[in-house]
Amino acid sequence: MARLPFTVIGGFLGAGKTTLLNRLLRGSAGRRFAVLVNDFGAVDIDSRLVTAHGGDTISLANGCICCSIGDSLVLALVRVLEKADRIDHVVVEASGVADPARIAELALIEPMLERDGVLVLADATSVQARAADRHVGDTVQRQLDGADLLILNKADLVDAAQLAQTTAWLQARQAGARVVPAVHAEVAIEALFGLASNGAPAAPTAAASAATPPVRRWSLSTRGLIDRAALLAALAALPASVLRAKGILRLADAPLQRSVLHMVGRRIDMRSDTPWGIAALRSDLVLLGTPDMPADAELDRLFATVPVTPVA
Amino acid sequence: MSSTVIYPARRVITMSTHQPFATHVAVRDGRVLGVGSLAELQGWGAYTLDRRFEDLVLLPGFVEGHSHAFEGGVWRFPYVGFFDRRSPDGTVSPGLKSIDAVVARLRAIEREMTTKDGPLLAWGFDPIYFGGRRMDRGDLDKVSVERPVLVIHSNFHVLNVNTPVLAKAGIDHTTNVHGIVKDAAGQPTGELQEIAAKYMAYRASGIDLAAALSDEQAVWRFARVAQLAGVTTATDLHNELPDSTVAGYLQASARDDFPIRLLPAFGAIALPVEDGVAKLRALVRQNNERLRFGLVKIITDGSIQGLSARMRWPGYYNGLPNGVWNTGPDDIDRLLQAYHDAGFQVHIHTNGDEASEVALDAAERVLARTPRRDHRHTLQHCQMADAAQFRRMAALGMCVNLFANHLFYWGDIHYAQTLGPERACRMDACATALRTGVPFAIHCDAPVTPIGPLFTAWCAVNRLTASGRTLGEAEKIGVPDALHAITLGAAYTLKLDHEVGSIEVGKRADFTVLHDDPLTVAPEALKDVRVWGTVLGGRVFEAPAG
Repeated sequence: MARLPFTVIGGFLGAGKTTLLNRLLRGSAGRRFAVLVNDFGAVDIDSRLVTAHGGDTISLANGCICCSIGDSLVLALVRVLEKADRIDHVVVEASGVADPARIAELALIEPMLERDGVLVLADATSVQARAADRHVGDTVQRQLDGADLLILNKADLVDAAQLAQTTAWLQARQAGARVVPAVHAEVAIEALFGLASNGAPAAPTAAASAATPPVRRWSLSTRGLIDRAALLAALAALPASVLRAKGILRLADAPLQRSVLHMVGRRIDMRSDTPWGIAALRSDLVLLGTPDMPADAELDRLFATVPVTPVA
Repeated sequence: MSSTVIYPARRVITMSTHQPFATHVAVRDGRVLGVGSLAELQGWGAYTLDRRFEDLVLLPGFVEGHSHAFEGGVWRFPYVGFFDRRSPDGTVSPGLKSIDAVVARLRAIEREMTTKDGPLLAWGFDPIYFGGRRMDRGDLDKVSVERPVLVIHSNFHVLNVNTPVLAKAGIDHTTNVHGIVKDAAGQPTGELQEIAAKYMAYRASGIDLAAALSDEQAVWRFARVAQLAGVTTATDLHNELPDSTVAGYLQASARDDFPIRLLPAFGAIALPVEDGVAKLRALVRQNNERLRFGLVKIITDGSIQGLSARMRWPGYYNGLPNGVWNTGPDDIDRLLQAYHDAGFQVHIHTNGDEASEVALDAAERVLARTPRRDHRHTLQHCQMADAAQFRRMAALGMCVNLFANHLFYWGDIHYAQTLGPERACRMDACATALRTGVPFAIHCDAPVTPIGPLFTAWCAVNRLTASGRTLGEAEKIGVPDALHAITLGAAYTLKLDHEVGSIEVGKRADFTVLHDDPLTVAPEALKDVRVWGTVLGGRVFEAPAG
């Protein structure tokens, strides 16, 4: 059975975690998310969509389930994995003082899970003050340090200069930080959590399009052998508006095996997978991003710098 | 007319100021009818004279203000700790003095197991007493290379596992996860810490573990262990209180032979506050003589020995980074305010002094917004508080429950590694509590350390570490003050001092029965005073000879 992607959403109290989760549950785009939350009461679930409510779990008509963490995250997660055959993706809301990167490591000791991304929200109006606070400063800094992708929320509540300054501050304290500005945690769900397993964007439903902005998509397909180092360099050079990349690749230094690329924010994971077998010997790379993602032509130019050796 | 029983005793130590000592106590309807001489008590009318305590010493039943019914849960599994520990059936599980002894014990248990591949879980292991050698998977592979073997450490935050557990989870030299300990060659040793440990414990032993740890049988085992130590009132000081647990508590406490009064504290983080308050109000309506809902618990930080306590400057003596918040300062304010406004008493876990400071700040703000007399919100553990923090507790009307057992079990570690000499010598500052007038109790935090109020009192009196070092002459208290802390003092921190904690007319007939007189033995021998048994609401519970 395929491993379930495991995403952790972190951020200090008030940064917008619940807002993002509400978007996820409303606009799941055909995927069945299991969402583990700290406070049931804060999640805004349309009661008409609830198909079952069993104490610590709410089932929704769109296939998603929402589970209360209560006082034990690990126990809640173990319980969710009992239902693994009915879900496609596990999302955990870290508590406001937890270190989301530590929680994400659970995927590395749980064979049913695959670490996806650590998304950390920061409140543009207060993140710098919080990070300097006597009691919680180190907690906030740990959260920011562990982020694969930073969502700088409440961007509408500060002026452009402040937004630029806070973005620069975040980038200065973490090498390669990817910072995406957002208002009311509005970031395309598919760009944050990836596409449905068939690889194609789900047909947008009325609810989904209303709840989240559109996702931008760019793809590359080639039969040639790709240079690993140059590809990784190109990916690292992408702007923050490119939120994810997924690829099944044929690399010049490992042509006999499929190489699987997985990128969320600044974290790039390339692992060698099974031999090609009867699959077509072809590399496919997909980038997902916000509407601010560079134009196709610009991305074409960037990836044209990656050497590809033609095969006879 | 109800019957009256008069018990003569070698001595009755009442903890009541107007009559500290007596020779007889009269019991009617489960309550103390009177205490004094036989002549004084005869005036109440017909009585039966019961001479079974004639050569024994009676005290008010001990009150354990900070323990967990989880103690009864873990006794379902074998104990493999360093120190002897009394099990619920009264037998002593002998301390294991080497890693090889632990392995030998586990092998013996493994051979008796009826399933072929079911997990073997043990608890209570503490590696600090084996001269630096750590247990590794090689040790536990000698127990079995087929079934999962898991050894939970006494702090409940670290776990040792055998190779099958690692293999099933896919943990190898490539697994870079915080809390997975590796050897010099980069291979996982089988020691797992914190969240990784907790996850693996549940994952390897199955989803039923949580239920097994808090079912009706578990609460019975807890009550028995407590009773054997002379305890008549004990807290279960953090519980999410799911319906299944509540049902077990109600069933157990409905029986006359349930040997303790149990006070569960609801873990405030488990539910949104409106739901939590409503749940607790409903639970309070189900209270009975032996079961009292109504306490609330907030956990702020971690533990000192786990390096997860929140410390003020200058932090950990060994220079490691500050600990973690389990509940952040904003949420502490919010939760305390909500349960304070709803009229409940809140117990706040604070190990490090920064956590104590944040809790005191929160209490000060809450009391400024909505003043309330006699709230008795209590700082629990509060191990590092300095004199200024105690003065604030006194000013705010707060109580404190100090973790005296830590002095013995982890005092050497605190002295050498976590706190350093100066702060280790003022930790769990009972004498400062006395001087500043903060009502205080002392506790064991079972199952982290064994339940045994006389041992806890001995710790507060002698302040000796496991290696024999005295930690802070100036914070020692006398035996009478220590006995007060495990009876009336603890009852006060639970708002039960009108009912239990002293032997006085009208109060519950809850007694601890001792073979020896704790006020005449040498203070160093306080922990060796033998418990004969207890009396709860007039019903006698004799403990088997230990």
